[in-house]
Amino acid sequence: MSTSTNKNSYKGLYWIWAALTVVGILIGLYAPAWLMPRSMSNNMHLTVLTMVVFSVAAAPVAAGVYATALFALRHWAHKGDDVPAPGPQVRENAVVVTTWLVVSTVLTVFLLIWGLGALAVDNGSNGKNPLVVDVTGQQWVWSFSYPGTHVQSNELYLPVNREVEFRVTSVDVTHGFWIANMGIQVDANVGTITTIHTTPDKLGTFNIRCTQFCGLNHAFMVTEGHVLTSQQFTSWLASQPQRA
Amino acid sequence: MNRSKSLGVALASVLLGGGALALAGFALASATPHQAALNCVPSQSAANTCSLNLSTFPDSLAGEHGKTGGDHPDWVSYANDNLVVPANTTVDVTIDQYDSGGSLNNAFFDQVMGTIGGTATIAGKTVSSVDPNNVGHTFTLRGIPGSDKMLFVSVPLPADSNTQAVTIGDGSYTKPVVVQFSFKTGSKGVYEWNCEFPCGGGREGEFGQAMSTYGYMSGTLTVN
Amino acid sequence: MTTTLEQTKTAAIPQGGGLARRLNMLTAMVGGGLVAWLFWFLAHHFLDPTSRTYSDEVAVSLTIGWIIGFWLGIGAFIAPLRWVTGRDNTRADDLYLAGQGQGTSRYWKFTTDHKVVGVQYIVMTMVLLGAGGILAMAIRTELIVPGNHFVNQQVYNGFIAVHGMLMILALIVAVAGPWGNFVVPIMCGARDMAFPRLNALSLWTLVGAAALLLTTLAVGSLTMGWVVLEPIADQAGIGMDFFAMAIIVFTVSTTVAGVNIICTVMTMRTKGMSLARLPIFVWGAIIAAALGLYAFPFFSLVEAQTLVDRTFSTSFFVASGGGAGWLQANLFWLMGHPEVYVILLPAVGALFEISSVMARKPVFSYRTAVAAMTGLAGLSILVWAHHMFTTGWAPTLGGPFMLTTELISIPTGLFFLVLIGTLWRGNIWMKLPTIWMFGFIANFIIAGVTGIYLSDIPLDDQLHGTMFVTAHFHYVFVGSVLFGAVSALAFWFPKVTGRFLNEFLGRISFWLVFIGVQVTFLAMFVSGLKGMPRRYSSYAIIFEHSNFITTIGAYIIMAGMLVLLGAVITSWNKGEPAGPNPWHANSLEWMVPTPVPLENFDVLPVITEDPYNYGEELVRS
Repeated sequence: MSTSTNKNSYKGLYWIWAALTVVGILIGLYAPAWLMPRSMSNNMHLTVLTMVVFSVAAAPVAAGVYATALFALRHWAHKGDDVPAPGPQVRENAVVVTTWLVVSTVLTVFLLIWGLGALAVDNGSNGKNPLVVDVTGQQWVWSFSYPGTHVQSNELYLPVNREVEFRVTSVDVTHGFWIANMGIQVDANVGTITTIHTTPDKLGTFNIRCTQFCGLNHAFMVTEGHVLTSQQFTSWLASQPQRA
Repeated sequence: MNRSKSLGVALASVLLGGGALALAGFALASATPHQAALNCVPSQSAANTCSLNLSTFPDSLAGEHGKTGGDHPDWVSYANDNLVVPANTTVDVTIDQYDSGGSLNNAFFDQVMGTIGGTATIAGKTVSSVDPNNVGHTFTLRGIPGSDKMLFVSVPLPADSNTQAVTIGDGSYTKPVVVQFSFKTGSKGVYEWNCEFPCGGGREGEFGQAMSTYGYMSGTLTVN
Repeated sequence: MTTTLEQTKTAAIPQGGGLARRLNMLTAMVGGGLVAWLFWFLAHHFLDPTSRTYSDEVAVSLTIGWIIGFWLGIGAFIAPLRWVTGRDNTRADDLYLAGQGQGTSRYWKFTTDHKVVGVQYIVMTMVLLGAGGILAMAIRTELIVPGNHFVNQQVYNGFIAVHGMLMILALIVAVAGPWGNFVVPIMCGARDMAFPRLNALSLWTLVGAAALLLTTLAVGSLTMGWVVLEPIADQAGIGMDFFAMAIIVFTVSTTVAGVNIICTVMTMRTKGMSLARLPIFVWGAIIAAALGLYAFPFFSLVEAQTLVDRTFSTSFFVASGGGAGWLQANLFWLMGHPEVYVILLPAVGALFEISSVMARKPVFSYRTAVAAMTGLAGLSILVWAHHMFTTGWAPTLGGPFMLTTELISIPTGLFFLVLIGTLWRGNIWMKLPTIWMFGFIANFIIAGVTGIYLSDIPLDDQLHGTMFVTAHFHYVFVGSVLFGAVSALAFWFPKVTGRFLNEFLGRISFWLVFIGVQVTFLAMFVSGLKGMPRRYSSYAIIFEHSNFITTIGAYIIMAGMLVLLGAVITSWNKGEPAGPNPWHANSLEWMVPTPVPLENFDVLPVITEDPYNYGEELVRS
């Protein structure tokens, strides 16, 4: 028989669980913001927050499994090469199974509710005079045009604090339009226009990378984007060659 | 098996397996075709300037794929793919364009972009854009942003409408359209360039075959 | 113990049969080569060489010829032909076909004995994992520093496509192939599978498919990823035709194998072996097989459509002809997500079995275990569109698919409950299978938690298509399924060979692979979070450190897998002798002698209870 049938000996398990939970929560709180690109839009703030919330919610569950596994290795591992004696022949424990089911269902429902709420915010448009940008993906270059201005560019320029509506399409195969700093991604499909919204709220430079495998030079289908003040943006637009 | 014998087995597995893998890797790397480098020729008259002569053909009979045209003699090709230029230098590029043409997938590439002055000299005339429905190929060069290597140069090469016949290697062509432009190189690194005119096979975007195969309508520009 | 085996060894080899009895893998290769050449010759000469699709037509003809010739050459059609011509196999013929008295040569033949097929599957799994592993090392070597230094991007793109598909095929068969064939019939108390000849057919069809898949690299131009993404696949060269045909042939193999396992369990159980007394691994195997029967038709369908698009210029997936790339994506992921659980469930079932034997306790809440596996299989067919959250296809279905995807975490959580509940207060025997099982538990948590992030659409909009996804599913496949597969290998190895898998080498391998997985894939998560997309042959300088660490980790995994290979090879004939029931387990496969005699049982056993009573008085609660 195992030596750890005494109820008191589970104390160690609780301590490991508590410690691992704290570690998990700390990682959840700090790792996403530390590792992810600088947040430059409302969508990205939400993305980072969601990651933090999910990490913190998952920490006690993951820590529970790790703690039990470690505790099992410490206290229930059989020493020696002989065949271990039978353990307690427990086949069912309705209370444990029910509790586990209820807890995991509650967590899942929480994730779903959070997700649906975030989705509504994420995909929504505030409808206030968005700047429309037509995005064209092709093997292996992005190009951007600003309807109503005859300006076309291989780099993306956006004004700060104004909603942008990207209308994304492709002229050959499927590409993935992704601004990692803004938490938005949508495929560029041939013959179809897909639309996404975001509101940049920080000045600076970011990268646009293709996330859908598109052949030979997929790894080089990258360009730069810039968030400017609205005055800078207006003068940039004016400085560009006007195409017929 | 005792412990030391087991350790021997472990070491032997790793060494034999790792060695075999490393050998296979070297064999693979050396079997990967490397095209001869085309070095930028330094100018005699101007400092920090060099010139690069390229050609685009409707087949592969005249360039680096050899007289027989390699595996796909009927594929369009640039004569050279492996371009080598010095850092912080003005590169004068001359492209002899021997191919016919048509419409671009995206009219954006009818512009001359990223060259000195934003212009190119095409058949003796200085222009900043061409007819998007009469383009043969483009020379489109890009860097990797976020690593101080931003470089974007794109020059359309109009369709060749000359009729006078010329023969180069095993190929018979018409007299080329000559496109000249200059751009400045920045820091060291390997940049990728390719053609943006849909001249490969396939039904979607026509970017298959020569466009999707290394060494035909794409290549590297090594700045060192 | 081995009298029955000695009898079969010394039994007179049935005479006659001539050529049909001499067929083996070599004649299969020759046959495949000859018929492939014949088909190539005919296509080459009679098809229109000016057609745009000429090279694809020739390639498809050649691959069809290969597999027909391979089947002919291995002798797959001999018994049906004899039946048609009224000279059905005699008992002696069937025994010969089962490998009686043929020594090791039966492993190279169309042998129907389920244990021979099981061993052949072990070897096939190792071959596929090895080939895919070599490609993984090539991929990581290319990515060790920024820039294309090792191979160019075209070769690299071929590597990622073939690496992906090889590993998927390897893992689909990794647990269900060897152990679904070797132990499931014995566990049920059957003398063989329900359809022994189909069993051999499934194995040799897999060999034919694997050969086709490996040639794709030589044929080249695979610019479509392992998912055969449309419309980019339209641009790929004839390697694409070989690739699609390999998949179609593979689905024939899995369909035949799946039907066989299900029929065996449903009809061949011995007296008293009720469904509730089945060892839990059998449940894992048949649920996975049933799920495969649902999923893999989509696989062959989507590849057949791709081939028809390429050879006959139809437009299923070509937008300019009225088709849609999204159709391909839907059909592919209708297969692609259930397939993950086809891969996972046998491994989970095996780990339930192993945890019970090693902890000397019954499987905790057997009914929960079966319900969770069944529920997961059912849910998995309703979640495919989460692979398409960012495509722009049907944004209004985002919410429903987020729901079904997040529901997955409930049955998955129950897996942990069953495993931990079984280990709880047990006397855990720390042998190789147990150690790899603990590795599974540690890694599967990370796979699960990162899966939750990806199920949430706003987060998926950030993480989709990045190295984060790659790291997530490598935690599932390498961190979890591979650990389960090695645990199962170590557990049943003594039954196959009569010897233990070397404990010391197995532990070295475990630590190398376990540490390697953490180094490789944690660093890969970092690459993804920082913003590096998948399938990149080169990358910006900001991803330099995490990629370097990932590559070092990958080399550590490779070292660990090489040690495991060394352990398997040296233990097979020279390992420590194990006896027929080294783990003192109660299920039927441990009740028969080792090596297991042909037809397993002298007298079929009668079952009176499930195999999970380890002697102590039952504690009810």
